[in-house]
Amino acid sequence: MERPSKDGEPPAVIDVTTSEKVVELLNQAALIPADEKLTVLKQVQELIINKDPSLLDNFLDEIIAFQTDRSMEVRKFVIGFIEEACKRDNELLLRLIANLNLLLKDDSVNVVKKAILSLTQLYKVALQWLVRSRSVSEMQEACWDLVSQMTGDVLSMLDSENDGVRTHAIKFTESLIVTLSPRTPESDVPKRQEGDISLDKIPRDHPYIRYDALCDEGKAALDKLLKFMVHPAISSINLTTALGSLATIARQRPMFMSEVVQAYETLHANLPPTLAKSQVSSVRKNLKLHLVSVLKHPCSLEFQVQIGTLLLDLGMPQSEISRNTPLPREQRKRPRYEPAAEGKKVKMEPALIEDDEDKEEPVPLAAPKPAAAPTPQSAIDLTAEFLRPLLTSENVANLVLISMVYLPDVMPASFQATYTPVESAGTDAQIKHLARLMATQMTAAGIGPGLEQCKAREDESGKEEPAEDESGGKDVLIRRSLSSMVGQAISVVGGYSEKPPAPEAPAVKRLPEPILPSVQTKMAGAGGRKKVFRLADVVQPLSDSQIGSLSSRAVKRILHSEKAVTQSGMSHVRVKLLSRLVTQFEGVMKEDVLDYVLEDMRCRSDLAFSLLYQEYNSYLSQLPAGLLDGYDHCLYTLLSGLQEKPEQRDGLFTKLVLEAPIITESALDVIRRYCEDESRVYLGMTTLKELIVKRPSRQFQYLHVLLDLSSHEKEKVRSTALAFLKRMYEKDHLRDYIEKFALNYLQLLVHPNPPSLLFGADKDTEVAAPWTEETVRQCLFLYLSLLPLNHRLVHELASVYTEAIADIKRSVLRAIEQPIRGMGMNSPELLLLVENCPKGAETLVTRCLHILTDKVPPSPELVERVRDLYHKRVPDVRFLIPVINGLEKNEVIQALPKLIKLNPIVVKEVFNRLLGTQHSEGSSSVSPLTPGDLLIALHNIDSTKCDMKSIIKATNLCFGEKNVYTSEVLAVVMQQLMEQNPLPMLLMRTVIQSLTMYPRLGGFVMNILSRLIVKQVWKYPKVWEGFVKCCQRTKPQSYSVLLQLPPLQLASVFERCPEMRAPLLQHVLSFTPHQQAHIPNSVMAVLEAHKKLDPVPAEPVLEEELAEPTVAQQPGPGPEPGPALQQETVLLRDEEEPMEQEEAEPPTPETTDPIHQEEEPKAAEEPEPEPGQEPLEEPMEEPEAEPSDQPEPLTAPELEAAPPAAESGSEDPE
Amino acid sequence: MPSHPLRVAVVCSSNQNRSMEAHNILSKRGFDVRSFGTGSHVKLPGPSPDKPNVYDFKTTYEQMYNDLVRKDKELYTQNGILHMLDRNKRIKAKPERFQLCKDKFDLVITCEERVYDQVLEDLNSREQETLQPVHVINVDIQDNHEEATLGAFLICELCQCIQHTDDMENEIDELLQEFEDKSNRPFLHTVCFY
Repeated sequence: MERPSKDGEPPAVIDVTTSEKVVELLNQAALIPADEKLTVLKQVQELIINKDPSLLDNFLDEIIAFQTDRSMEVRKFVIGFIEEACKRDNELLLRLIANLNLLLKDDSVNVVKKAILSLTQLYKVALQWLVRSRSVSEMQEACWDLVSQMTGDVLSMLDSENDGVRTHAIKFTESLIVTLSPRTPESDVPKRQEGDISLDKIPRDHPYIRYDALCDEGKAALDKLLKFMVHPAISSINLTTALGSLATIARQRPMFMSEVVQAYETLHANLPPTLAKSQVSSVRKNLKLHLVSVLKHPCSLEFQVQIGTLLLDLGMPQSEISRNTPLPREQRKRPRYEPAAEGKKVKMEPALIEDDEDKEEPVPLAAPKPAAAPTPQSAIDLTAEFLRPLLTSENVANLVLISMVYLPDVMPASFQATYTPVESAGTDAQIKHLARLMATQMTAAGIGPGLEQCKAREDESGKEEPAEDESGGKDVLIRRSLSSMVGQAISVVGGYSEKPPAPEAPAVKRLPEPILPSVQTKMAGAGGRKKVFRLADVVQPLSDSQIGSLSSRAVKRILHSEKAVTQSGMSHVRVKLLSRLVTQFEGVMKEDVLDYVLEDMRCRSDLAFSLLYQEYNSYLSQLPAGLLDGYDHCLYTLLSGLQEKPEQRDGLFTKLVLEAPIITESALDVIRRYCEDESRVYLGMTTLKELIVKRPSRQFQYLHVLLDLSSHEKEKVRSTALAFLKRMYEKDHLRDYIEKFALNYLQLLVHPNPPSLLFGADKDTEVAAPWTEETVRQCLFLYLSLLPLNHRLVHELASVYTEAIADIKRSVLRAIEQPIRGMGMNSPELLLLVENCPKGAETLVTRCLHILTDKVPPSPELVERVRDLYHKRVPDVRFLIPVINGLEKNEVIQALPKLIKLNPIVVKEVFNRLLGTQHSEGSSSVSPLTPGDLLIALHNIDSTKCDMKSIIKATNLCFGEKNVYTSEVLAVVMQQLMEQNPLPMLLMRTVIQSLTMYPRLGGFVMNILSRLIVKQVWKYPKVWEGFVKCCQRTKPQSYSVLLQLPPLQLASVFERCPEMRAPLLQHVLSFTPHQQAHIPNSVMAVLEAHKKLDPVPAEPVLEEELAEPTVAQQPGPGPEPGPALQQETVLLRDEEEPMEQEEAEPPTPETTDPIHQEEEPKAAEEPEPEPGQEPLEEPMEEPEAEPSDQPEPLTAPELEAAPPAAESGSEDPE
Repeated sequence: MPSHPLRVAVVCSSNQNRSMEAHNILSKRGFDVRSFGTGSHVKLPGPSPDKPNVYDFKTTYEQMYNDLVRKDKELYTQNGILHMLDRNKRIKAKPERFQLCKDKFDLVITCEERVYDQVLEDLNSREQETLQPVHVINVDIQDNHEEATLGAFLICELCQCIQHTDDMENEIDELLQEFEDKSNRPFLHTVCFY
């Protein structure tokens, strides 16, 4: 508008007439591009408006034709042109206003804005033009109607969606309010606007323009503006604009100052929450600026307190406030104003006058004592006064406490910006201020005694002044401002009845005209609409469930568009979209998507990962307060989905685990479950291992899972875990942890009951259940698998072992075989253990020794250690057993007496070792004793060191080994024994036994017997006894031997075996006389001594058959008593016992038929007596075993047959 | 307002450093730009902080340059003042005071809060006539060469973004918020009317 005058070069029309020039320019303009067109058109405008206005009318149509130009700038130019043209010639309004109306509805916001600006100007022009023309034509009326309509349109643009349009609408509203309210002497009047029309210039008797209608319209516009301002979502620019407009209004129309100040107060206390921090600062700066400009106005006196407080709050120093506060000089002005007002206000509407006077008149009166100014009180004032006495420290403290609950989590920007420490807390002024602040809030919220009072008054005054009612009651806010005005009006009536009534009374009479209906409805319509956010008007709010189902359906559509999207190559976008959406919105969608992913994890893994990362991202973005819940859930669902799927085997699980940013607890549980699945245990544990290796920050957590699995009940899981752990044990940084874990578990064995830890519970408490093989092993698995890797650990076992209860000990002994064997007998640690052998661990050590030497001969080192232990610390012969083949011959012989006293099973074991009859493959062990040596050694055991019974049992063991003790071996033994002097007590027993085993040795035995006679065998009672028995048994072979005996001894034989005499005699009698001649007489005498006693010579066989019963009945030491009887006798008689037993033996072997017959029941049992010797012996042994062998809780049934030695050893040391 | 180039004013205190740096860059980028100071005098650093060189707004850059060369060429070369003046005089003849300019702008950018306040005060004290809006934005820039350069680029970027909006008034709020986040400094922003 400004520029045209500049652009248009001073018309250089010299020859051509202006008209021709314009024609030429217009022709030009039609054909050239927009920006040049603009220049040309501006020239035209200059020519026809300023240079030669007479041409205006001619070219009007041509110019206006450009209003449909495609260029926005050209259309804006047209608007400018219309404005200028109408200003130049008001009559043109008739023709152009409709065009402006058209442009006001243009598509381009910039055009609309320009149109609003022009309308702002033209409204005043039009009003003035109408007011001037005393008679109004129909066309003029129509024109004004259109202007009014456009005014309404622009006012409703306060609700436009466009920020700029709203800004322009605000400015229009400002201008409208100023125009439609009377200018008063206090009004600031900008120089440029001095000539502008205002309400006071409108005659009340105008034929068409209604003064009161316009007045109402103005006030409605103000209400609208005020209401606009308190919208919570107002933009910062609109707010700034409105603040400025209010300041302008307050200065130019001081009658509205009260509303303006109040609006400022309300705003200050309720800055819109939508403002950003910097916007808050901007707005506060503006507020300050405008408050100062209002304060500077002379009419601000009444509001100085409020404004001052606000400015203080906004951070302005008191000094500056004072500097900007005008001196109360109104008193001089007032008198001058009075008459003028009298004159002018005759025409004014009564209500308005009241409002005017309310603000203006009290000023001079109040000036002397401003603090107590008895101004009419607004609702806020009333409420504030009501509140003030209530604001005791206690109440305030309570209020603060209560409101704490309602504080938002984050400090709003507006608060942060406005907060200034309260300096004057507790002072009267501050309390007053606080009361007022609260009152403002309460009134805004529609509560408080002030509001009620005002309402009451309003009702009252409503009766008196019905007109007032019409404008009220649209909205709380409007009601508020109205009611405050009404309140003031009433106080005026009450307090200042002298002055105001004068103008009031006539006014009421003069203007009873009705309000213009069209305007009224329009205003009501405009006023009733919601502000700023029109979206809410056109959109129906959806219910939560609707929202939920719509959104989840939307997600589902994206979800199932997989194929289509893949074909278009945008699947990454889809994936991203889905993951973002789902992460942001909680609810079923998440489940849906996860389910979808799991349906075909292989193909949808990218979505899975994207989802996972998105969740993690959102967790990160909320740090440090963020929760992992979402992420956790996502990971958990994916993993357990994979875990539960049976067929999946392509490592997706591993991939997911290894690429997940964090492994949560529950995810770890899934991994654990995965590992527990026998078919996947290897993959699972490989994954776990990767985690341990690649996520060092939490490796121990992962390791712990693997460790837990090492005692898993499923064998496959356990062994895999152990295999993995063994490998990890080689890594230095993991070693300690694994070892500690293993030892902790091991340590559990010292508890009297298994800790619940072993049953899957977390707490390490004991449960009442007893230890079982299973639970004991659980504690040992890991330890035992580590043992071969780290031999030093063996000492831990020993120390635990000593503390453990017997049940556990047994289990331990059973469990250690593999690992101990794995360590080997050369392990220094193991040797050290043997060397130290902690007290209580003897059985353990023995067991170890057995394991080690089970299949391999003992190494010299081991033998050395054991020997050392045996001699120096624990003289338990059982230690020697495992290494017995490593000992020296004499050592073995020395130990024999002790060895054979052990449990028969153990003794058997010893003999097996010594005789090399172990069931081992390569019994390369060379026994220090030959079998013969052994048997001889047995015979030579000092009977004071060992009871004969044990020795006999031992020899029996030897005889049991028929493969070893062949007839040759026995012959050598007998030979050697016989040559000893004195004769071993058991000699004859052995002879008889040998003979029983190998009857073909008969001749050899005869030889022996003969030689024994030479050695005067009868001097050894026991041997002699045996000798006789042997002869008895070997008859008739033995007759020749018997005949070699001296007569005395022969008689002794017959004494013992009278039945022998007759056959022997017979034998001798059968000799040839020559032969008989060799028989000494003394011998013959003995033979024939009791001849008459032989009545039954023919019955030797029969006799023998009956021998036993008969013998049993004999008083002497019955040669063949029943076994049971025999036992008793054994117990009774010590020395004779061997013989007796010996006697018991022979019947068993096959040789002697009679005995066989006699022992029929037994014979069935013992047809192969050699191996079966034990059973025979056992009954005999048992009664004695107890006294000799100590209590044996660890008896055979408990310890399996395999480790017999250990078992016997385990308890004995105690 | 995409149809015509933005009319931009850059305002600092003395129309020497910050506003001129921005003026320089903006005009190179084709903006319709002018620069101003709001101070009552033009002040340039002197030999010590309490002895600034003070000129009035009528003094040309050329005169200032010569004056300083005469006073202490080395000092003013070293602290970059001469270089700055040399650049300034190639942009325009002399500093301008914002309060004295009656031309209209779409956008006024100030370089510190005090200047922003002065601009607002001035604009609000003017009588409103056309009610055309003018947006005033404050971008805090420290008064030294480096910051001036950085600030000028920021201003330039801001102007370019505003220029490219379809509807400046409707979008400027959001745009500024974005810029605040991006540049991590607060912008004061208001609108005034001519």
